[in-house]
Amino acid sequence: MKRGTKLFASLLLTASLGLTACSGGGSSTPTQPGAGGGPSTAAAKVKIRLATWVGADEAKELQGVIDKVNAKATTYEIVSEPIPADYYTKIQTMIAGTTAPDLMWLGAEYMAPYASKGALLDLTDRLPKDSRAAAKVDDYFKPVMDAAQWNGKTYGLPWIAQPVILYYNKALFKAAGVPEPTDDWTWQTFQDAAKKLTDKSKGQYGTTFNGWPPVQMFIWQAGGEVISPDLKSSPVDSPEAIKGLEFYSSIIYNEAVSPARNVISEQGTGDMFKKGKIAMIFGGAADDLDRAPGLDVGVARVPKGPKDRTTFAWTASTAISAQTKNPQQAYDALVDLTEGVQNWKVLAPRKSMATKEQIIKSDPRKEKAADVIIKAAADMRAFRVVPRHPEWDTTFFEQLQDPLYSKKGTAADLAKAVRPKLEALLK
Amino acid sequence: MAAYLLTLSHWLLTGAAVLVLMLAVYGLLKALKARQVTAVGYALVLPWLLGFLIWQIYPFAYSFYLAFTDYNVLQPPQWVGLANFKHMFFDDPRFWPSVRLTLLYSFLSVPLGMIGALGTASLLAQEVRAVGFWRTLYYVPSVLPAAATALLWRFMFAGTGLINTFFSPVYKLLHIAPPAWFSDEKLVLPSFVIMSFWGVFGANTVILLASLKNVPKELLEAAEMDGASPWTRFARITVPMISPSLFYVMIMGIIAAMQNFTAPLFINTPGGAGTFLSVYIYQQGFTQFKMGYATAVGWFLMVMILILTVIVWKFSAAYIYYEGETRKGD
Repeated sequence: MKRGTKLFASLLLTASLGLTACSGGGSSTPTQPGAGGGPSTAAAKVKIRLATWVGADEAKELQGVIDKVNAKATTYEIVSEPIPADYYTKIQTMIAGTTAPDLMWLGAEYMAPYASKGALLDLTDRLPKDSRAAAKVDDYFKPVMDAAQWNGKTYGLPWIAQPVILYYNKALFKAAGVPEPTDDWTWQTFQDAAKKLTDKSKGQYGTTFNGWPPVQMFIWQAGGEVISPDLKSSPVDSPEAIKGLEFYSSIIYNEAVSPARNVISEQGTGDMFKKGKIAMIFGGAADDLDRAPGLDVGVARVPKGPKDRTTFAWTASTAISAQTKNPQQAYDALVDLTEGVQNWKVLAPRKSMATKEQIIKSDPRKEKAADVIIKAAADMRAFRVVPRHPEWDTTFFEQLQDPLYSKKGTAADLAKAVRPKLEALLK
Repeated sequence: MAAYLLTLSHWLLTGAAVLVLMLAVYGLLKALKARQVTAVGYALVLPWLLGFLIWQIYPFAYSFYLAFTDYNVLQPPQWVGLANFKHMFFDDPRFWPSVRLTLLYSFLSVPLGMIGALGTASLLAQEVRAVGFWRTLYYVPSVLPAAATALLWRFMFAGTGLINTFFSPVYKLLHIAPPAWFSDEKLVLPSFVIMSFWGVFGANTVILLASLKNVPKELLEAAEMDGASPWTRFARITVPMISPSLFYVMIMGIIAAMQNFTAPLFINTPGGAGTFLSVYIYQQGFTQFKMGYATAVGWFLMVMILILTVIVWKFSAAYIYYEGETRKGD
């Protein structure tokens, strides 16, 4: 009996070892091409996973774009994996767990942090050999393509650029007897108009700043920089930068021209504009501010600063994970998909696509704004992003912008104090 | 479908492997001449033990290792020794304000919350009509998701929100401007403390209510006959008799308060004035690519909670009366 038990135990142990080995080996199966193919697709097509932050409605539109791309593809099949909430947390966790999607959308501020940490596939050598239009680096607006590059290498293809433009409520301008914005507008004209358009007793304000639009835009317009072109210094205390900071703080939370902080945090600037409580608001080119029901909205380029009319552009790219098991297919899918998405989103960040016809084709609701958007595209610029961008940005906000807007110090003093801290994060 | 079958097969294989391991443990223990019950016992707890080791002990130990590394999530961790702790204690301008906020919040919200819970429990212990309805009503808040209540409180604390509207006659009478609550740096802590009362009417009230119901009536009646006032009866009999429950509620309250996360994550405050330690850990780990540093702060938080718990525990002998249970059996 005892001998029998021993034999039984050793048999079981061996069996269990064998089984564990089996299940361990089994996990490598899905990486083989075609293993997850299913009956409808050809066995040769590789599944390429695409992570995006689209919500339910946008996901349907994106699926339409993907379906068209997939129909033409012979080597791959893109599978959409929308992550509408906690996008970057989830992406980082997937990368850490080595289950990263092959393709992922990344906002410009994540490109350098991810690329510098080896999370993205370098596309520099593949792009020049590719004859497809979406792979032509030169066709992209340079500041937008810059945002997809780091250390001289390209890590993604931008699919959107949203230059900031000025949306204004025509009825409020008429009522206050203020002429509508033109290309001649400067900071001074803007400020004067905002003052005339403010009527606190009616809860009506000329404009609104709230950390948005980004203060960088006004620093650039004055000729300043927050991160130098070589990414080595943060001259936020230069006279030009101070000029931009001071202009910004003269508007934000100043109730002679713009709502107070708590009013903004409760009502939201976009909603206030749509309810006719704000006369002029800065927004991205594709924003829905010009189709608020019952509101006659005009659009204009942003007012000109002391140096130029630079406007901020939020941009995002699609990048390939360095973990992808099928780099070639992922790359092919990336270029085809980028072409598809660029024909869906406003503004496609390519010079050849910055036309009125293209904008109307992608989004007919933007017909009235198309001319202004195209002009703004020529002035647009994205942030310069460094590997430690999240820390840099937090410091820039918490130790310069926030205390400045809360009137806890002058722009000159705060900028001087924060500069070494910002520069320490550039090393 | 194929992917599903593959996952299912992995799942079944893992289950089979665990089963085989259980049998192996049983066989091994029998072979080592363990008693039958021992062998069966260990074999049966094996699945739980495996889960505990893999999902609890391993991450716990690994996070201890990560606290001594520079880990940006995207690349393998690099050993940096005590650098994270040095940065935390000496260089990080945001760390100590966050510790201060977390501690102050705990010291204010836990005692106030306990008084609130005890008061509510005392009311619900009365023999009133439809007592079941009232008890259910007061338990409802703890059923709601924390994120939803955080948003609710944000609306209530808004400049023109429910609270300011309700008190506007008072403000007018006193000639003061309506407080900006979460939008005012100085009022962020009081706002969170007020908000914490919400948590009072839940599990704590139920625990204290059960405990109140267990106070022997004979003691209270005897005291009443001896002419003790209601307050004396409450302070000298009820409170000592329920002190073990109060102690439990306090320890759990301190731990929960120190880990306050959901509400401050959902409520924006000026200048990060409402960044509790748990939120800070989340920010550092997931938005600043500093997972190593985040785990170091996490371990600091754990040690801080441990120290507070030990202090409360050490002093507990002085004010906790554990004889209630033995008396009841008499």
